Amino acid sequence: MSEIAFFGAVEIGLVYALVALGVYLSFRVLDFPDLTVDGSFPLGAAVCATLLVAGVNPWIASLSAALAGSMAGLVTATLNVRFKILHLLASILTMIALFSVNLRVMGRPNVALLMQDTVLTPFYGLGLPDHVVRPLVVLVVVVAVVLLLSRFLNSEFGLAMRATGVNARMARAQGVQTDFHIYAGMALSNGLCALAGALFAQTNGFADVTTGIGTIVVGLAAVIVGETVLPARAMLWALVGCVVGSILYRLAVQLALSADAIGLQASDLNLVTAVLVAVALILPRMRLKAASKKREAVR
Amino acid sequence: MITVNGIHVTFGRGTPLEKHALRGVDLTIPEGQFVTVIGSNGAGKSTFLGALAGDVIAEEGSIAIDGVDVTRWATPKRAALVARVFQDPMVGSCTALTIEENMALAAARGRRRGLGFALRGDRRRHFRERIAELGLGLENRLHDRMGLLSGGQRQAVSLLMATLAGSKILLLDEHTAALDPGTAEFVLGLTRRIVEENRLTTLMVTHSMRQALDYGDRTVMLHEGRIVLDVSGEQRAGLDVPHLLALFAKQRGGEDITDDSLLIG
Ligand SMILES: Nc1ncnc2c1ncn2[C@@H]1O[C@H](COP(=O)(O)OP(=O)(O)OP(=O)(O)O)[C@@H](O)[C@H]1O
Ligand SMILES: [Mg+2]
Repeated sequence: MSEIAFFGAVEIGLVYALVALGVYLSFRVLDFPDLTVDGSFPLGAAVCATLLVAGVNPWIASLSAALAGSMAGLVTATLNVRFKILHLLASILTMIALFSVNLRVMGRPNVALLMQDTVLTPFYGLGLPDHVVRPLVVLVVVVAVVLLLSRFLNSEFGLAMRATGVNARMARAQGVQTDFHIYAGMALSNGLCALAGALFAQTNGFADVTTGIGTIVVGLAAVIVGETVLPARAMLWALVGCVVGSILYRLAVQLALSADAIGLQASDLNLVTAVLVAVALILPRMRLKAASKKREAVR
Repeated sequence: MITVNGIHVTFGRGTPLEKHALRGVDLTIPEGQFVTVIGSNGAGKSTFLGALAGDVIAEEGSIAIDGVDVTRWATPKRAALVARVFQDPMVGSCTALTIEENMALAAARGRRRGLGFALRGDRRRHFRERIAELGLGLENRLHDRMGLLSGGQRQAVSLLMATLAGSKILLLDEHTAALDPGTAEFVLGLTRRIVEENRLTTLMVTHSMRQALDYGDRTVMLHEGRIVLDVSGEQRAGLDVPHLLALFAKQRGGEDITDDSLLIG
């Protein structure tokens, strides 16, 4: 793997680390299987790219993208909490709707960012090569998000959100407004995914409506890899695990792609990821079964 | 003080499985009274406690706690006034969170939850002191996940959690049913102590006639969604388990209990 390929993999891993953190919030903290991500990631890219083309400050454009993602999360949460639509279905509805929304936002299927200033612009030309600057800037954003998120999940409000996901009945009996926490968590989760989309557009120089496909599976893969290499209970370390998982996942993908002997193409990525996630979901169950069989044998 | 006026609860209204679970329950419980609740399976005991806690909203009648009409309040809002311990130790706590996180959650019951740390140094110390009072050695396991505790330990911690934030009433729904006799005895003793120390207005559902008479100041029996027996004071003191069992059997046999037959000497 060349140096550029390595930094490229780390960079994309860091961008998707924000997706992984969002997915961790919805799937793990809230226990809300949310596929909105496939729509909110390109939504973030679309909103950010469109605003950049219109000459808006890159940080404001990125925050607006995150805000747009939060709205998408709120739509899914509303469909589920208020109108009792099953969470998976609710999130698929939002995801499909977002495909049209994203086309509307951009006015065409893709937008190129060529001359526009991005959040990266001020850091190019400080002496470091561009392919190192990009992951460094994203790293700073990711570290800030991890610290803030960990602080948040350890607050009284965040603890109530975790309780909502673990045992909603108990949480309500303790006075937690569980519905409100689901809204807040879903907004936060999809806001992070949209922020990832905004950074993706700025590091890659384009926004495209099709970039969202499979985002959720990649995010899940990162969460699962993270949980495997860093099985932590403390909030901060669980979040760091998501980031590490995302980077490791990208490095593994890069390795597989650059090993000609395997003969994988970039377009095989979704298949490989889906298989990986499926295996990761099946394994613990098999282990449980094996364990219970053993227990019965002892009896 | 709890004032319940003619509440009705129906599950699955308009469906073939419609169940009229509470059919006009009236009950006034003065401040600090400890009431035990008995009745056969499906009598409506859990539904009644659920109606007090806000899990089910009464479609008719009214419920007031300390003079405040809470009939239409949802569970989280009522939680400021109501503490509970559930029958299933799994239901009443967050198994995936640590013991101290569970305690922090309970300590904020009825308060607005802000962005301050849930577990600050002084709170940790307070939790450690409180849990040490249980005498179970749990003060050294505050960082353990709740799911690692035995059912009895978890019920003991749940009881403690019920007292971490102030509340007007305590609802116990067969909270010792999942425990072995020895542990049940321990948790019941703890219940008595906690209720007395905090002077809580308490309702305790139990299937044990012995417990129903031994604990608390008053016993009510529910049958098919109605209160069919309500004894306290001298009358209750004169009652023993066989009497109660006979009354219980009579109910199950479908015979009506008239007011006269309640005068047991
Ligand atoms: N959520 C529900 N939906 C439909 N029916 C219900 C529901 N909850 C309770 N019921 C029905 O209402 C009736 C009263 O149930 P409840 O749980 O209050 O009984 P209980 O006195 O607590 O009995 P047990 O001693 O078995 O706990 C039962 O017939 C039960 O099947
Ligand atoms: Mg019951």
